[in-house]
Amino acid sequence: MIVQEKSFLPGFPRKKIKFILLFILLWMCLILVRLIDLQVIEHKKLKTEVIEQSQDLIKVLPTRGNIYDRNGKILARSLPAASVFFSPVKEEPLETQVKNIYQLKSILNLGENELKKIISGIEKRKRFTWIKRKIPLEVAEEIKKRKLPGIYLIEENRRYYPLGTLACHLLGGVNVDDAGMAGVEYYYNNELRGEEGQKLIMRDARRKEFFIQTVKETKPGKDLYLTIDATIQYIAEKELQQAVENFGANWGTVVILQPQTGEILALANYPNYDPNEFPPTEEQMVNCAIQHTYEPGSTAKIVTAAAARELAGISPNTYYDCSQGYITFGGTTVRDHERMKILSFPEVFIHSSNVGSIKIADLIGEEKIYQMFKTFGFGQKTGIDLPGEESGILHPLNKWRKSSLRVAIGYEIAATPLQILRAMNVYATGGYLVQPKVTRPQPAPVAEVIPAVLNDVSRWPRILSPKTVRELVETVFTQVVEKGTGLEAKIDGYDIAGKTGTAQKFDPALKAYSYAKHVASFVGFAPADQPLLTMVVVIDEPKGIKQYGGQVAAPVFREIVRKVLLYLHQPPKKLPEKYWLAQDKRKQEVITD
Amino acid sequence: MVRKKLTWKQVVIGGGVIIMLLADLTFYIWYQSESVRLGYRIHELELKVEQLKEEIKKLETRKAALLSPERIDRMARENLNLTDPKPEQIIFENLVEK
Repeated sequence: MIVQEKSFLPGFPRKKIKFILLFILLWMCLILVRLIDLQVIEHKKLKTEVIEQSQDLIKVLPTRGNIYDRNGKILARSLPAASVFFSPVKEEPLETQVKNIYQLKSILNLGENELKKIISGIEKRKRFTWIKRKIPLEVAEEIKKRKLPGIYLIEENRRYYPLGTLACHLLGGVNVDDAGMAGVEYYYNNELRGEEGQKLIMRDARRKEFFIQTVKETKPGKDLYLTIDATIQYIAEKELQQAVENFGANWGTVVILQPQTGEILALANYPNYDPNEFPPTEEQMVNCAIQHTYEPGSTAKIVTAAAARELAGISPNTYYDCSQGYITFGGTTVRDHERMKILSFPEVFIHSSNVGSIKIADLIGEEKIYQMFKTFGFGQKTGIDLPGEESGILHPLNKWRKSSLRVAIGYEIAATPLQILRAMNVYATGGYLVQPKVTRPQPAPVAEVIPAVLNDVSRWPRILSPKTVRELVETVFTQVVEKGTGLEAKIDGYDIAGKTGTAQKFDPALKAYSYAKHVASFVGFAPADQPLLTMVVVIDEPKGIKQYGGQVAAPVFREIVRKVLLYLHQPPKKLPEKYWLAQDKRKQEVITD
Repeated sequence: MVRKKLTWKQVVIGGGVIIMLLADLTFYIWYQSESVRLGYRIHELELKVEQLKEEIKKLETRKAALLSPERIDRMARENLNLTDPKPEQIIFENLVEK
């Protein structure tokens, strides 16, 4: 039986239906071909394009670690900032591009030189030209609003030093790429900088971010705690600046050490600089405390005295004729600052007699003098965690000349102020050679550390016997301040131990030591019986009548110690000549009322 | 060809399947759009958290600058007319008896 095929749409011509079906088939074939083209032939290329449009793998900059003082005060911190750059838009004419840059002149405070540099970059058709880096985000927002073609912004970090010039030589500074260039910023750059991370950002068709995935976690830089106390640092800097300016000196430095731990409580240099405006001039950049070497003069006698008692066994009851005022040896003449009489061993150092010191050094002998200076760490770096430390000069014994005995009075030897400080610190710790440092693992105010460490110096090498130390501190170094050259360092109510130094500077033009140019210094510790601070003050080339260490550096030492001991709530252990007791004051106020 | 008439049962089952499929599809679309919407929201909030963290940092830094010893010293001298105490002006609470 033949079944006649019926149209499913009765009344509609079969021819037309066939035509429509053919058309649909062709249309579907076309779509199929296009789909094969998109999904198979161009798959790789198109997938890449899609990923490019919808996904961004971006670098995430690590935040540089913060730097704090020992009390947790912020000394350095990185905050987000924006950088502006120019990348030419093809259809923009050159004049319009330059005009756009001029629109930024006032917003970005661009100088004429900066503008010239940028425009020259544009004229050379450079694909990328920095306009200004590390601008505040508010300024960046203003630029963004202007929608200038060819002007783009990227996010970066900017280093801020909220306390300005304070502790600048310790902190150092960073360059425009956030890399440490000086101070702890350089020394601890690897720890501070952290590690870059990566993030995958998914965007929709309108380029709006809707999903972010961390591909590689950013490692922020480690925070750093310095041993300095911002207040003590400020006191030191202020007193130093006043002294350098008052005496018209070239430079000056003050370093304060916590004797038992070797922690630097303050390190001040003048001239200084603002690390927010890094780099400074070369002169400002020098960290005098560790990078300036000088002939220390009489402060070196603290080593000679140690050699005399510890190695040569010279009795403190011996006497030396210093009445002539000068002594000639090895083709050189050494003079005292004034004519003295016959002096006992302690008096030689109390009055800082060069003649007496040379006579004592002659008894000690070159070898033992050299040995003691070497033991005290001269000619070697102290190992402080700061870059660029100088080791100073201590000539080997076989290169000593006949005149080299002058090492005993601080000539023919070069030392940094920090080396002198470390040498005096041997007496403050009862004979230990402590290594100075500027960082600590966690914050701790000075007052908290003091009781814990007072008797904890045994981890350092002992280089002097307690007997020698006690004897020299009591009979020599406290007497220097009580009745010797360091009278100006005396503080009412406190026992201070110290030694002055006035070194003539060698004039290369004259090829002789100058009578007009000196390095004035004072090194000491306080209180003498239970030291809390060891300090060195060095002032280079003070101008005017006052030239001696006792006149120039000792008053600076006194004022800093007085203020710091008050700040640390350390009352005098003996009654000051002038003093007020709170109870007396209260009684007086009651009577007056 | 005679078209077979569908029973009520078949119509209900077929309709149910279609409704279920449509419901699934609707749920899936809703789920996808909600995920994207929440993605936007999370991203916005994450940005806000970052901004606030940065703001805190900025304020802490500003506080540190305002409390700098140099500024406090200057203000004490210029605004409050304070001066350094002389040694004899210092009153000690506890000192050994004379």
